[in-house]
Amino acid sequence: MMKKRFNPIKDRSSEIVAFLMSSPDMPKDEELRFKIELSIEEAVENVVQYAYEGGIGWLEAGTKLDDKSLVLTIELRDAGVPFNPLEKDDPDITLSADERPVGGLGIFLCKSMMDSISYRYEDGNNVLVMKKRVVS
Amino acid sequence: MKNNNYMKVTINKQDEKTFVVLDGRIDSTNADQFQQDVAPLMEGDNPDIEFDCTGMTYTSSQGLRVFLLLQKSVVARNGKMMLCNMNPRVKEVFDITGFSNIITIV
Repeated sequence: MMKKRFNPIKDRSSEIVAFLMSSPDMPKDEELRFKIELSIEEAVENVVQYAYEGGIGWLEAGTKLDDKSLVLTIELRDAGVPFNPLEKDDPDITLSADERPVGGLGIFLCKSMMDSISYRYEDGNNVLVMKKRVVS
Repeated sequence: MKNNNYMKVTINKQDEKTFVVLDGRIDSTNADQFQQDVAPLMEGDNPDIEFDCTGMTYTSSQGLRVFLLLQKSVVARNGKMMLCNMNPRVKEVFDITGFSNIITIV
C-alpha cells in the first residue's frame, strides 16, 4: 500500500504517474504494466488539466493490492470542481477520420484497460477508483 | 541512456515519399513536442507518408490526438499515410479507440 499527496499538481502528471508505477503493489508483467500506466496517466492528466483552475490544488494518489484476490486498486482523490468523468459518453469509434472529433479518448482508454472504474463525490472530494486483477 | 520520456522523430524525404522513424514514447509530457516534430508532414499536396513504429513503445490519448490530426490533414490533401511495424501493445490502443479503422496500420 502506498499513498502520497501532491500539491501543487500543475505540470506534475509524469511525476505522479511515476510514483504510482513505482509502488510495490504493481505487477512486473510488462503488458499489465502498460495498461495500468496508460490508465493512470489518462486519469491523472484529467485531474491535472481540469480539476483546478490553473492547476493550483492537490491530488492524492494511492495503490493497494489485495493479496488474496490479486486485485490492484488505484485511487485518485482531489478537491477540485465536482466532475464525474464516467458520465461522458463513449466515443463513436465507427466514425471516419473526417468525422472523428479530436480528443475525448482518455477516460475511454481507462475504462477499456482496467477491469472496473468508479467515481464518487465524498467530503468535497472527487474520488476515482480503478481496479485491475494483476495475474498475467 | 534513454530517459523515461524519450521520444524521437526522424523524417526523410525520398522522391515523392516521406519516411518517418518514430522512436520512444509519446505521453502527456512530450505530445506537444511530437506535434511540432510532425508539423512538416502537414504541408504539401498528395502526401505519401510511411511511419516506422518499430521503436515506438507507448502512446497515451495525447499521442493519438496527433495521429488523428495528421490523418485528417492527409485525407484533406488526398494523400496517404501508413503506420508500419507497430508493437502489439501500442496497436491495441489504436484498436480499442477505433483508430485502426481510420488509419492504415500494416
